[in-house]
Amino acid sequence: MASAVPPPVRSEVLLLFRSLLRTAREFADYNIREYTKRRTIDAFRQNRDLSDPSAVVAAFADGKSQLEVARRQVIVHSLYAPKVKNVMEIKH
Amino acid sequence: MASALRAAILGHIRVPVSQTLTLNGSKLSLFGAVRSMSSHGDDHLTKEEVIDRVLDVVKSFPKVDPSKVSPDVHFQKDLGLDSLDNVEIVFALEEEFKLEIPDKEADKIDSCPLAIEYIYKHPMAG
Repeated sequence: MASAVPPPVRSEVLLLFRSLLRTAREFADYNIREYTKRRTIDAFRQNRDLSDPSAVVAAFADGKSQLEVARRQVIVHSLYAPKVKNVMEIKH
Repeated sequence: MASALRAAILGHIRVPVSQTLTLNGSKLSLFGAVRSMSSHGDDHLTKEEVIDRVLDVVKSFPKVDPSKVSPDVHFQKDLGLDSLDNVEIVFALEEEFKLEIPDKEADKIDSCPLAIEYIYKHPMAG
């Protein structure tokens, strides 16, 4: 059990939030992009009122690992980018 | 059809030579819009456009009551949003205007007037 890891400051949490959203934007695939944005917003909202510091630390660490996953996946997906634009992206 | 129109107009227009010489090489578009010397300053957004689009983005945010939105609302004080919503709104504004706002600046934007001010001054707002 991690002892006395300080819980993240508000600015760190907001920075993580913004980094996740920015990384989401880099996905070429519409679906993955929208899902990543939606999921981060939902997850941060859900964990907003956590009071137990160890839960906060755990959630923050989870968010950071997810950010790493997303960053790697952006690169991998760009190697297999879809050739056709998703119908939702066609502007009328 | 535009070319026929242009040909017809060309037949009638007399552009004095001295005028074209003073425009240091930039072409005079025949349909009225005179490009002045600035390279890309012309297609900068007007303040009204910026205000309209910013308000649209804020109004279409699901947690916001559209009737409360005006160009001088504060996101957290007047619209009852929290800091996460603030980040989301700034992010939506980035997408709308195709900007990349650095984190330091984005942290400062927490009201409509600040957002409008920042976007209006940004040279790359589109």
